This record gives sequence, C-alpha cells and structure tokens, in this order.
Amino acid sequence: MASRPTVSIIGKDGSPTGATHPIPAVFTSPIRPDIVQQVHTGMAKNKRQPYAVSEKAGHQTSAESWGTGRAVARIPRVSGGGTHRAGQAAFGNMCRSGRMFAPTKIWRKWHVKVNQGQKRYAVCSALAASAAAPLLLARGHQIASVPEVPLVVDSAVFEAASIAKTAAALGLLKAVGAGADVEKAKGTKKLRAGKGKLRGRRYRHRRGPLVIYDAETDGKELVTAFRNIAGVETSPVTSLNLLQLAPGGHLGRFIVWTSAAFKALDEIYGTTTEPSAHKRDFLLPSNVVSQADLTRLINSSEIQSSLNAPKGDAITRRAAVQKKNPLKNKQVMLRLNPYASVFVQESQKKQE
Amino acid sequence: MSAASLSNISQDLVWEIVRNNNSFSAKSKKNGGVQFSRDPLNLTNKASRKHAGFVNEKAIGVAVNEKGGVVVISKKGNSNKPAQNQTETTVTKASRKTYLTVANQTAKNGYRGDLRAAAVERASAIRRSQKPVKADHEVKLRGNRAKKAAAAAEAN
Repeated sequence: MASRPTVSIIGKDGSPTGATHPIPAVFTSPIRPDIVQQVHTGMAKNKRQPYAVSEKAGHQTSAESWGTGRAVARIPRVSGGGTHRAGQAAFGNMCRSGRMFAPTKIWRKWHVKVNQGQKRYAVCSALAASAAAPLLLARGHQIASVPEVPLVVDSAVFEAASIAKTAAALGLLKAVGAGADVEKAKGTKKLRAGKGKLRGRRYRHRRGPLVIYDAETDGKELVTAFRNIAGVETSPVTSLNLLQLAPGGHLGRFIVWTSAAFKALDEIYGTTTEPSAHKRDFLLPSNVVSQADLTRLINSSEIQSSLNAPKGDAITRRAAVQKKNPLKNKQVMLRLNPYASVFVQESQKKQE
Repeated sequence: MSAASLSNISQDLVWEIVRNNNSFSAKSKKNGGVQFSRDPLNLTNKASRKHAGFVNEKAIGVAVNEKGGVVVISKKGNSNKPAQNQTETTVTKASRKTYLTVANQTAKNGYRGDLRAAAVERASAIRRSQKPVKADHEVKLRGNRAKKAAAAAEAN
C-alpha cells in the first residue's frame, strides 16, 4: 500500500501538538451511499416494539346479515331492539365502530436481519465519508473553525479522568473548533410531527459531533461528561454503530476522535490485505478503482506522456459545417472555381 | 494532508453523493421545480456541479459587506482543513475597480476562470442593491385635481 497521508493530533488548546498519525486504512474504504442507506434502513427497524389494535376491536357484537329482500345492504347488522345500536351495520371497515381494515398484528415482521458483511461494509464506508469535509458540510455540520478533518484530539487530554465534568467537555469541544456545531445542535429540540409523539419518539433533535474514544486508555468518565451536551454523542471505538456514524442514512457525521481511538482503528479494522485482529476473517473492502479522481488520472504524467500529439494545426478547418450553395454564394463559388469571376465578366460583356 | 490525497474520494464522487440532497439545497415545487443552493460559495445560488462551492476544491463566493462594498470569499486547496482554507477580502472601491478586483481574484493565476463572469455579475448585483433608493418625485397635479387642491388651499 502506498504511503498514507497523516493527520495531525490536536492538543487541549486546539493547536496541533506536533504529533501526527498516518490515517488508518479504514478511511480508504469505498464510499457507498447505497449500501449505507440500505443497511441503515434495516438497522433502524431493529429497535421497534410491536404494537397492534385489540384482537376483539370491532367484533364485540353478535351482528348477522339480514340477507336480501329487506332493501338494505347485506352487511351484518346488530341484532335486537330497544336501542339505537340495533340494526346498525357492524364489523366492516367502512362501518362506524367496525373493525379497521387489515387489523395490525403483533406478529408483523418488525425486525430486519442485516448481513454482518454488509453492516461492516457500511460502517467502513461511513467512517471513510467522515474524513471528507464536503460531506460533513453537506450533512449540515458547522465545521468552519475545525483545524482538520478527521479531527483527532490527543488522548492525553482525557488522561486520569480529567474530562469528567460537562463544563470541561464543553470547553474542550469549543477549543478544538467543534463549538459551532454544538451550538447549532443546541436548542433544536422540537416536538415531532405526527403520531410518533405517542410512540416514544416525542422529540426530534439535530445531531452534533460524535466523540469516539477508546475505553482502555481514555476511560469512561468522558461519557458522563459529554452526555448532557445536547446533540453530542459518545461511542467506544470498539463498537461503532452505523446509526450514529450515518444518521438518517446520510454520510458524513462530524466525528471527534481521541488519538487512542484513532490509533486503534488499524487494529480493529485491519487493512485490505491483513485481516482484522478483532473481526474474524474480515478484510477491509477494496476500491474498484484505485484512483477515484478522474481529472487527476487524466492529467497524470503517466497518461499524458503516452498520448499522441494532437493532430492538425492549431487552427483547422471545421469539417461538419453547413453546406453553402455555390450557385447562390459568390465566395463559395470562387473558392470552388477561381475562373468564375472571369467567366461572369465575359458573359456580361457579351450581353452588352 | 487532505482527503483529496485519499484515493477513494474525488470531487465528482462527492457531488454524486450529495447532489440529490444536502444541507444547502433549497428545492421548490414551484417554477418548474427549480433547485437552488444556500451555499455561501455559490455565485448563482443555483444547485449545479460548477457552482457547488462546498464540493469544489477551489471556489469563490461574493457576499454583502455590511458597511458597503462586497466581501470576496475564496476557498484555496485543502478542503480538509476548514479553519485555514478560506480567505476573505473586503472590497469597497468604486464599481469598476470592484469588478476588476473580483475578476482578478477569480480568474488570475488559473484559479477559476469559468466563474469570472458569474462573480462579477454577483458583485455588480450587490453594488446595485447598495445604492440609495431614489425618492419618487412629487406628482404635479393637473386638471380637476389641481383645481380641487387650489380650492382647498384657498379655503384654508
């Protein structure tokens, strides 16, 4: 593999510490929005709880059809007399207090199995996309003051539980240039439109930065520090979740890495040739084209040097132009027949 | 270094990913479904590959300067260092001089020659909007209305 670009590691005050780290191989995975979207759709369904209408709803009456001959529709009708309910239509989905059409059942297929290979591919893809600033901008993250994407913060900052309080965590995010994104996500808690409100999804909220840490070096205190900052999420590098890496199936989540987590990526995901240490027999997906930038490919010295020199002069006659009629267009006639002018003059003399 | 040096990403790929939906897009069902862009680095405000400033490595934006004149935002290279890759120049010269500066900033040194006309147009539109609005001149009354006004003035 060719030498990979490096990422500088940012210190506590937001300036580079001087240390750098080569970008892990997982960031060179192919970016496949189609796979990410498909996997996201499946995974997003796996936290659902079954719901259904009552089995008895609309059927708690002993209605029978009156049959033909009584000049009313043959729908079942409530028996008896002495109440308004008697003689009313029942059961049908078109009836008042009838059952609904196709009553929902708890044995609906709520969960979707997503193949592990696809899930891993999607996570790799989402990670690779998180290293592209334009994709972060397209997701709506405010990254104008971020020194570098991917943003890697030195793990020394988190050492000995030094980021255990929300004030410290917020201060750190502001120092490393993620303040604008936190600010954007803040105060975006909105009441959800529709029935979702009743179903445990009452509020909607913008997502801010995702802090990815390595529990072994960085400890877990930072989780409590970050959890009360609206929109900010934390995730251990050992169990990354596509729902956080690509919310809504949209690539390009703004990720704040701790340097330990960033370094762990190569071990966790391996490369395209060396299998991962933690995921059995898992190789990183490889790109179909080794260079995605076609302009760069075309302008490369390898291609340019093997091209033929352009044919023809700097100015060439255009081939496919409109044909002019020489009998009507004098200049075209002269071009075809230089003698034409003499011929015309002589014929004029003859007429005189 | 930049993600541009990562071989799996290119501007064209990014555009294909974001062209249908991105945070800057402003789609409308009116006017034949025209698609606009809220990108500050977009000179025409239309969603298009050429003018999508957040996708392109090199881009130019022209914005209003609150105190008059225009601000030229140019995005230089390395899009993966967002804190460093934008420079802003405030231009508060006379119109023609402004256009020359904008044109030079856009097209000199092989920067983005294709955006020159759009950049100058935008600068011009901003300049025009900054001109003081002329007050409507007083309507000189004629005929019956003039007579009425004269009568009213006399009565007073």
